[in-house]
Amino acid sequence: MIEALLQLLLNGAASGGVYALVALGYTLVFSVLGVINFAQGALFSVGGYLTFLLMGGKIGVNGALPGWGLPSGLPFWLALLLAAAGSGLIGLLVEQVAFAPLRRRNAEPLLALITSLGAGVVLVNLLQLLMGAEGYAFPQSTDALAGLPDVLVIGGARIRTIQLLLLLISAAAVLVLSLWLERSKGGRALRAVAEDATTAQLLGIPSAAMVRLAFFLSGALAGLGGGLIGVSVSLPGPYFGISYGLKGLAVLVLGGLGSVPGAIAGGLLMGLAEALVPSAASGWRDALAFAILFAVLLLRPSGLLGRRTVEKV
Amino acid sequence: MIDNGLLVQMLLGALLGLSVYLPLAAGQLSLATPAFYAVGGTLAALLSTRWSALGATASGGFPVPSLLLELVLGGLLAGLLALLVGRLVLRLQGIYLAIATIALVEIVRVAILNLPFTGGAVGIFAIPQPFATAAGYLLPALALLALAGWLCQRLEGMPLGRAMAAIRDDELAARCMGIDTTRVKLTAFVLSAVLAGSTGALAAHFLNTWNARQGSFDASITTLAFVILGGSRTWLGPVVGGLLLTALPELLRPVGDVRLVLFGLVILLGPVLAPQGLITPGLLERLGRWGERRGGSPAEEVKP
Repeated sequence: MIEALLQLLLNGAASGGVYALVALGYTLVFSVLGVINFAQGALFSVGGYLTFLLMGGKIGVNGALPGWGLPSGLPFWLALLLAAAGSGLIGLLVEQVAFAPLRRRNAEPLLALITSLGAGVVLVNLLQLLMGAEGYAFPQSTDALAGLPDVLVIGGARIRTIQLLLLLISAAAVLVLSLWLERSKGGRALRAVAEDATTAQLLGIPSAAMVRLAFFLSGALAGLGGGLIGVSVSLPGPYFGISYGLKGLAVLVLGGLGSVPGAIAGGLLMGLAEALVPSAASGWRDALAFAILFAVLLLRPSGLLGRRTVEKV
Repeated sequence: MIDNGLLVQMLLGALLGLSVYLPLAAGQLSLATPAFYAVGGTLAALLSTRWSALGATASGGFPVPSLLLELVLGGLLAGLLALLVGRLVLRLQGIYLAIATIALVEIVRVAILNLPFTGGAVGIFAIPQPFATAAGYLLPALALLALAGWLCQRLEGMPLGRAMAAIRDDELAARCMGIDTTRVKLTAFVLSAVLAGSTGALAAHFLNTWNARQGSFDASITTLAFVILGGSRTWLGPVVGGLLLTALPELLRPVGDVRLVLFGLVILLGPVLAPQGLITPGLLERLGRWGERRGGSPAEEVKP
């Protein structure tokens, strides 16, 4: 009984960790620019596929280059890191194409919803062109996880190693990012731009570079999430990131727009809530995140840990 | 290249564009249109396949008056849902409202996927046909669009329409002038839902099969793109945007798999190249003046 509960909680915390990664990606961009980057779900997909390719996966028969792949795969850790960096670079590209032109024109922020989603549609369909619509499974061998056993037994509960890694890696990423934002000079500069870009610029902080940094980090977080989910479950097709992107959005609002601790708490809460849905009602699981979101929006529109903003007249 | 089936789809797209436009005209970014569309369509699919009193024949035919009844019922049910949900969500502003309405779309989608009577992932199929060919659907779709367009045009001169415009410009100022902003926003939201619900009821018959995929997050953004690319300042904008963007993926079919990439590029670059959309009030004014100089009636020149 206790073992089953432990297993349940760990599974919930593991997927919650990934939701937190995605939500943090939104948070970074939102706190700096006040807009939502709807390409986040597509970057999640990109991260998954990059990890797959870097670990030595081959393109399937429906892809643009059937059978093509790296001559030899990289170890799991390195592939994950490089895939995250690659997704970050693509996130940077999204900023250049979908956000920067609108900012230069002082256009309505609403337009960025459309352009970023357009960028997401382009990315997902490029993936589909390149890799085909089929699903991919990662090689499930011991050396895929750097020699760790597939299943660990902790306190009587059998835990898939990858689930534990998922939790640890997302926790580490979240911790490093929060510490960096809180303590380091670069993090302070980013928060200064988030508070007031013009004043930050006057104080000698390069606002534009900080915005680019936020997009890079945000893309890298999404890519990391995609890679982790890909290794732990599989890649069911280029669109798989979109649903994680949507869940991340729910988590973002649940925790409070722009709040880093809120995104983390919201992610964990969402993952645990989903894990507690009985398997008989698993079809309804996808609605749970949004039902919670709905309830929170109505009871506490600023989110669980968000700041209440007072509209200035 | 454009056959009757695609024409009907384009008209349905224009109707959905108007459904997104109505709350936006009152300054409310609602992405709930696909949820109401799905509700209307599901109701029509259920009624026509389960309720024999509507007169579905064994050969798959369906009386036109029953179709009209379904359009009304689909609109009413969607409007009722909007009335209930709108009271709660319209207190939210800007991006919060957008996300809450996305949540509504997802909840409705998962519900249609999992409810015991909506046919699961396959959905409801063999929905009876009131018309033998796609061309038959042109008339009801066109009539519905004409009705919706007429309503939007009328709104501009009515107190409700002016109140909506005032809220769009500045909600606080509108409230200070004594406008019951909650009521006006709710009315626009309900009108939008009624339109989407009726459109869904018509679409269910036209498409013959109806399932949860009809109302998804993708549809939320595509329908918003209709409005943004067409132009959100006049009701003609969403109509033009809906017609063009629905036709685009089909017209791009010859280029093969690249078409969805190109479609994404249009959505990505459209707002950058034309932030106001294709149809702007300024453009309509210029067209009107041009029409007058040529001695024609200005109203005819601006029709899409």
